[in-house]
Amino acid sequence: MAGSTPATGAQLFKRFAQAAATFSKPRAVRADMLLQFDELAVLVRIREGRVSEILERGVALQSWDFAVKGTAEAWSKFWLATPPAGWHDLLALNKRQAFVIEGNLHPLMAHLQFIKDLLASPREVIA
Amino acid sequence: MSVKLEPIVGRYTSFEIQSKQCRVYFEEAGSGIPLVCLHTAGADNRQYRHMMNDAEITSRYRVIAFDMPWHGKSYPPEGWQDTEYKLSTALYVETVMAFCAALELERPVVIGCSIGGRIVLQLAHLHSDKFRALIGVEAADHQQPWYDTSWLHRGDVHGGEVCAALVSGLVAPQSPAIHRHETLWQYMQGGPGIFKGDLYFYRVDSDLRGKLTGIRTDLCPLFLLTGEYDFSCTPEDTLRTAESIPGSTVTVMREVGHFPMSENPAQFRQYLLPVLNQIHSS
Repeated sequence: MAGSTPATGAQLFKRFAQAAATFSKPRAVRADMLLQFDELAVLVRIREGRVSEILERGVALQSWDFAVKGTAEAWSKFWLATPPAGWHDLLALNKRQAFVIEGNLHPLMAHLQFIKDLLASPREVIA
Repeated sequence: MSVKLEPIVGRYTSFEIQSKQCRVYFEEAGSGIPLVCLHTAGADNRQYRHMMNDAEITSRYRVIAFDMPWHGKSYPPEGWQDTEYKLSTALYVETVMAFCAALELERPVVIGCSIGGRIVLQLAHLHSDKFRALIGVEAADHQQPWYDTSWLHRGDVHGGEVCAALVSGLVAPQSPAIHRHETLWQYMQGGPGIFKGDLYFYRVDSDLRGKLTGIRTDLCPLFLLTGEYDFSCTPEDTLRTAESIPGSTVTVMREVGHFPMSENPAQFRQYLLPVLNQIHSS
């Protein structure tokens, strides 16, 4: 977590988008996922094991399968090279109510490790 | 030619558990005080391979790890196809006691992790005279559920994959990748509905809060070791449990999660060896 100023939703989203651009797994995943970085919500389309499109500004009546909504603090700690205990996993964050997971959870649970890895992809690397 | 063999030997034995004949697979290594190892829910005895390959342990302990019926290389009892597997507290206690009797083990030490840690508490409560010492790893009298177990066994989600993915966050981020993924592979290989059936014990049938009175830690020492990254059985859960058991000792282990002996054996042995030293010298 660089500096002492908390990251904004826009900064967190930018970081996710950069990492997601190169994230790919040989798996037939198809899902539309709403991600919320603090106040900023984006729609992430996943097709054939990679992010095919991210829509920053949604239009009315746009549907999605499931949503993962997190506070700026939660995303920032989750992406530390060594996250603190309880901030290190999607479901740990959900348990501590720093992440909210909602919607149709079938695509999430059918591809749970893929989604976990995608969401963790911006994690810092230990130098 | 030099053949490099590990010291672990695998055998089968058959005995009755709740009037059902069970053929049980176990592995062992070493000699000395019997140390019976209980694997986590939905997994098998491979979790203890590092302890069985550790000469500092096997020089003083006969380390024995069995696959519970329905797990690993132990088949379910005959007629299983017409039943739903549900582990209960009574069945689990009888399984451990029957295994120890079948191998004619005299006052063994038992170490159990997760559901194995929970049952260690019940063994301390019911049978402390039968054991030299008990070690509960990731053990608590109760813990808060953190997901809906119906995801673990349904037709439209791969059971092995979802079991492994759910528990993957219980492995600490510091654990070496090779051991992390071996641990998850165990979950990917579980039988259909078995992890869920084990969690029936964990979630429904074994709330031991307020029921662990009378444990004689002076006769049978009780050691509790919990990883700081375990958000299923948290350090707070273990500390609360220990408060109700006079004489029990608690250690919160740094940089490990819910599967210490399997996910980070080098880190775990730093905490386990002092306990084994203490038991051996007493």
